[in-house]
Amino acid sequence: MALTRLPVANAIPDDSIANVKMANIVQSKNIIINGDMQIAQRGTSTASVTGDGYKTVDRFINEMSSAGTWTLSQDTDVPSGYGFSSSLKYDCTTANGSLSAGSWGFISQRFEGQNLQYLNYGTSSAQKLTLSFWVKSVKTGTYIVEMVSFATTKSQSQSYTISSASTWEKKTITFTGDTATAIANSNARSFNLNFWLVAGTTYTSGTLNTSYNTTTNANRAVGQVNLADSTSNNFWITGIQLEAGDTASEFEFLPVDVNLFRCQRYYFKTQDGVGTANALLMTGGVESSTSAGQGSLTLPTEMRTDPTLSFGSGVRFYSTGSSTVTPTIATNRSTSSNLSAAVTISSGSNGQAGYCYQGAASGNIIGDAEL
Amino acid sequence: MIISVKKQYDPLTNTFSSYELIEENQLVKSVPLNEANRDYQAIQEWAKIEGNNIIDNGA
Repeated sequence: MALTRLPVANAIPDDSIANVKMANIVQSKNIIINGDMQIAQRGTSTASVTGDGYKTVDRFINEMSSAGTWTLSQDTDVPSGYGFSSSLKYDCTTANGSLSAGSWGFISQRFEGQNLQYLNYGTSSAQKLTLSFWVKSVKTGTYIVEMVSFATTKSQSQSYTISSASTWEKKTITFTGDTATAIANSNARSFNLNFWLVAGTTYTSGTLNTSYNTTTNANRAVGQVNLADSTSNNFWITGIQLEAGDTASEFEFLPVDVNLFRCQRYYFKTQDGVGTANALLMTGGVESSTSAGQGSLTLPTEMRTDPTLSFGSGVRFYSTGSSTVTPTIATNRSTSSNLSAAVTISSGSNGQAGYCYQGAASGNIIGDAEL
Repeated sequence: MIISVKKQYDPLTNTFSSYELIEENQLVKSVPLNEANRDYQAIQEWAKIEGNNIIDNGA
């Protein structure tokens, strides 16, 4: 048979590479972002943690009250042979062996409702969700993982057991779908996935609620061990995947640029240069008076909403004909597609070009649109 | 934890345009007037607590 030369060049559209990349993002089966703990824009370790907040790896928020003191870090301890390079580590540095009733602590990821519409909640076709993850803990026993609907105040909890101390174990848990209540189709926080670590009797005194019901605190974390009861307690987790259906598939590894891109919808931080690298951060100029400058940078992806803006201590402003000054934010003019600010400066000339740059260590600019 | 909140006025228009938020770690944030923003939501909840006042020094 004669071979026919295919007109390959004509068959492949010019934008095909971009389409393949976008298809990879759109078709991602994992609802969790950064489930392999690869991205840590805020930093790789935070010590003396006692309360709420995003502390280290992207998209995972620490929720905590009266539950000891912890160091949270991006760690290299991972299950061997499964392709992971990072985990999220909780290291108890001050114990709390006598929890108050209202003590609580968990690792959480929050989801936008518009990303969950395909689950068909609120219909008879509501899909199940299957969670899989790798976990290692010094403390064995029962742990609770929970799905919480923020908008409808309904929740569902499931338990898992850590059988062997200080040993990586893979866990798989399936949550039923909610046939009664739809998920609002918006960019607002709709669901949380919570990995409980510490729970006082307020959350443990009832019967574990294993299907979607209006949240009763006493039924949320029944049986949860107290991970805060010793400074010897360390806890690691990685490879978190939450997918539609009742079967756990292999963890979906994404290229680091795609992973970072997904995280930057919620948090964006310019990279610190080497020392005082004078890296350009925002371009702009001096407007309206000698004391107000303005600058802007275009974000790599649309953020979830208009972001909170902050400057690191090393950000400087320079305008033609004036000396370098340390700017403070006069107002936040950012949108979901760019970071922009009017800044107060000590000197400048109206109409002159100017820019913000990294003039010292921690010269970074942060946009925060987390859930 | 929120330490203080102050209204920010745009120097070009003199209109109330964002909040300056100072947290326990002394990090200074500029928060947009957008109900979907998490820090904006936190400021509204903080302001409901008796004794917490948003500073307004005007334009």
